[in-house]
Amino acid sequence: MAKAREDWRMSACVGVFAVSCSGEQPKEVTTLQRERQLNQFLASVERRALRFAEIAVRDRDEALDLVQDAMIKLARKYASQPEEEWTPLFYRILQNGIRDWYRRQAVRNRVMVWFGRASEPEDDYDPVAQAPDPMGRTPDEQLEVRQAMRTLELAVADLPARQREAFMLRTFEGLDVAGTAVAMGCSEGSVKTHYSRAVHTLRDVLGDYWQ
Amino acid sequence: MKKPLDEEQLRVQAKALFDDSVEQLDAATLSRLNQDRQKALQEIQIAGPAVQWARWVPAGGLAAAAVVAVVVWQGAPVEHSAPAAGSATDFEILLSEDSLDMLEDLEFYSWMDAANLDSGSDVG
Repeated sequence: MAKAREDWRMSACVGVFAVSCSGEQPKEVTTLQRERQLNQFLASVERRALRFAEIAVRDRDEALDLVQDAMIKLARKYASQPEEEWTPLFYRILQNGIRDWYRRQAVRNRVMVWFGRASEPEDDYDPVAQAPDPMGRTPDEQLEVRQAMRTLELAVADLPARQREAFMLRTFEGLDVAGTAVAMGCSEGSVKTHYSRAVHTLRDVLGDYWQ
Repeated sequence: MKKPLDEEQLRVQAKALFDDSVEQLDAATLSRLNQDRQKALQEIQIAGPAVQWARWVPAGGLAAAAVVAVVVWQGAPVEHSAPAAGSATDFEILLSEDSLDMLEDLEFYSWMDAANLDSGSDVG
């Protein structure tokens, strides 16, 4: 009888332990999984996001800061959102950061004009030119690619802001119309209009350079 | 004469150039991106427990306030009155002359106490 009672106590303890474990473990696993998923997502998008921001603001340090802010805001506010929503959300945050950057620049330029020292983006900026070629191309081939990229960057940078956003999100990031609309915070019809105008302009500008 | 650039050609060529420039990012930039990503992931770790903890702050505050209110309401009169009464009584005993006499007749009182006990046992 006493042994039976002891066995019953032991089984009850094991049961409680199992219940407590099963009660906490899924939550912990979910948090770790979410962190891992977000890490993978950010790792997959960070380089392209940097070049995206760099083409827009034409300054690598500023672009790095913008990407960092976007990553932190996504992690802080939207980590619990479904994973498939992260891409348009991330680019929306990044776009907002780039727009804010342009506003700050505009204000700064107005102040500088007041003091007689307006600053313009440097046209000779070329961050890619400093990097070694990982694909083993000859210097002539590298030069050709860099010149083509530089021409493209300048042409894209000269587009109106909304056209530039639509073109970069659709072409560089491969977002569909719906995803681009979320990232830009506008309707799908607006995305199509901006994208179409951007392509028309770029065809005219780049047609003389590209075959 | 060059043919005009069509939309698909533009898209493919632009994407290829963009992808190429992404691949050529230098090690220092990649390291900075990695550090920034780790900072961002720390934000999610900080935000999680803090939000859960903050959810209980109002309830905890109300509970603590209720406990303090009950303690003050019930405990305060007892704490202040009991020591005052006890110390006053001790003071009176110390000042009364009888108490000094009692100290002189300690043996008598001890005998009377023993006698009472005996009588009590007789009665019982």
